[in-house]
Amino acid sequence: MANERMSGAATQTRTRLASGEDLEHIVRPEEGLISRRIFTDPEIYERELERIFGRAWFFIGHESEIPERGDIVARQCGVDPVILVRDQSGVVRAFLNSCRHRGMRLCRTDRDNATTLRCPYHGWSYSTSGELLAASSEHHYGPGELDKAQLGLIPVTRLGSYRGLVFGSWDPAAPSLEEWLGDMRWYLDIIFGRTGEIEFVGVPQIWDVECAWKFATDNFTDNFHVYWTHQSLVELGMLPSDPDFASHGHMVTLNNGHILHFVQGPPIEAFQGLGLPKLLWPRFKEHLNPAQAQIAQAHGYSAGTMWPNFHWLQLVTAGDTKSEPVGILNLRLEIPLSPTRTRMYSWFAIDKAAPPDYRKISYETYVRCFGPSGIFDQDDMENWEECTAAARGPAAKRYTLHHKMGIGRPPDATWPGPGTSYGDSYGEMTQRAWYAEWLRRMRQPAHAPSAVQRPRARAAS
Amino acid sequence: MSAVPQPAGVSADACAPGKLLYGEILEFLYREAALLDNNEFAAWVELCAEDIHYVMPVRTTQFRARGAGFEEVSFFDENINSLRTRVARLQTESAWAETPPSRTRHFLTNVLVKATDRPDEFAVAANFLVTRTRAEQAYQMFAGRREDLLRRVAPSEYQIARRRILVDQTVITSTNLSVFF
Repeated sequence: MANERMSGAATQTRTRLASGEDLEHIVRPEEGLISRRIFTDPEIYERELERIFGRAWFFIGHESEIPERGDIVARQCGVDPVILVRDQSGVVRAFLNSCRHRGMRLCRTDRDNATTLRCPYHGWSYSTSGELLAASSEHHYGPGELDKAQLGLIPVTRLGSYRGLVFGSWDPAAPSLEEWLGDMRWYLDIIFGRTGEIEFVGVPQIWDVECAWKFATDNFTDNFHVYWTHQSLVELGMLPSDPDFASHGHMVTLNNGHILHFVQGPPIEAFQGLGLPKLLWPRFKEHLNPAQAQIAQAHGYSAGTMWPNFHWLQLVTAGDTKSEPVGILNLRLEIPLSPTRTRMYSWFAIDKAAPPDYRKISYETYVRCFGPSGIFDQDDMENWEECTAAARGPAAKRYTLHHKMGIGRPPDATWPGPGTSYGDSYGEMTQRAWYAEWLRRMRQPAHAPSAVQRPRARAAS
Repeated sequence: MSAVPQPAGVSADACAPGKLLYGEILEFLYREAALLDNNEFAAWVELCAEDIHYVMPVRTTQFRARGAGFEEVSFFDENINSLRTRVARLQTESAWAETPPSRTRHFLTNVLVKATDRPDEFAVAANFLVTRTRAEQAYQMFAGRREDLLRRVAPSEYQIARRRILVDQTVITSTNLSVFF
């Protein structure tokens, strides 16, 4: 395991790895140098489990996935299995998916509707709001041996929702969800509030990929891979033949590692208004402030990452060579299973105000272009697996990747939204910001109370 | 639909294993599988009807009382244009998921043929096992049931009018779904 030691520079804590390298030396986000070691090394992965997956805020599910009282979906919060439930009074709750008695997984289906949750092991049963209702054969417990009031389901330590997106954190000292999201809320309003409400449609597609989770996260605000990785669609005429076609936009970096971009598509109507049907465009001004409405109106593509592993993809594409482009809202989550294996979740979502014909074609286009069978996505997974495969060996781990594009580019103060914005949406400032947050958290001591940038608290005496 | 010579009397019995019609359909399925395994996708998509619906629903784990767990959301939801686009993509030089190509093997067993209320259409169910390997990778495998509607367009010639791919896995343990079923 890594241990912290004081380097020569006073007060500068270095994080020494078993390889003899310092984490701060092999990951230098501000210089665009990211070691390949961090993608495949078990030591790094163990550290990530505690310092990232045990502490950050994570997307669990959307409220529209559990519309009725008693609706349950089995999900993850970080890397821990959780039950997301709308209890019998209508409150959305999340619990560790594990009985308090022997730790048996309690919800063993992917979704359900139930009034109680009963453990198959010894029959302990819980209400949908988590109270232990009954243990079996209770008369065999002596006085004080079964304190039911103390044996409710383990709640996700911090739970919050924004625009229907439910997030949880296992860190009792984590800041509020609102504080953690910070200025990202301004952009989430555009994506999830532009025409009223958004709903997730059905269950996610889930698939396991033999890749390091960070190669996937790295991809989601990367615009300049589109022309090369998805070259087959350029060849088919489904993407523009100009290699710079996805560069006409802005990259934005925010506090706490959140990152995003908005990109203008070709100057045709289909690529305005986030690809939504024209009849929905007047809603932008009703539901958004003028600056947000202007951004929604002027752009076709957008992707954003709520640090570290939850993303929106707002896209405009056709599903085949004969159809017209339509807008798609796709939500993505990556959960590591091991240093080099990752579980992918992909949801389709749509504006509740969308007309039925648009809903249908947007959904069909999503299935054809994204997710494991998607004619776009297929090639992305190929990249992530091959990047991982080539980063396993001791020689590769001595070398860094290259994340320098736009490192000297000045911010663009004319961008109307919050955060630091850069014109030209080909650039790696978003990834550098992501890795800076990763490094900040990975450098924290074990069991640090909180991992979010806040005004420095008064030092404990 | 143009009139096509039909086998005399499409009864349930005429579709039974050992019967001429059953053998004809089985041979069609084997020829189709060989096209996929030989990377002859352009010839394969010619076997798909203009009105094909090719769908692979997402499966979830459900209690028995709630059914088999096939969801509205799918991994594939294709019409003829999208299938032709997928095939055309595989003919490009840059469909990296299949460039260089996977090696697949389509195994079909437990084939049962049923007559429908149309004399030229047959409901064909089969179990499938599709193995896939690429480069030095270990095998990725897909097992499930396929429910086809095959349309007889000429003696011994069929088109796939519907294909429902009912995969056993709820979590696909494969890089992607860049292969056909």
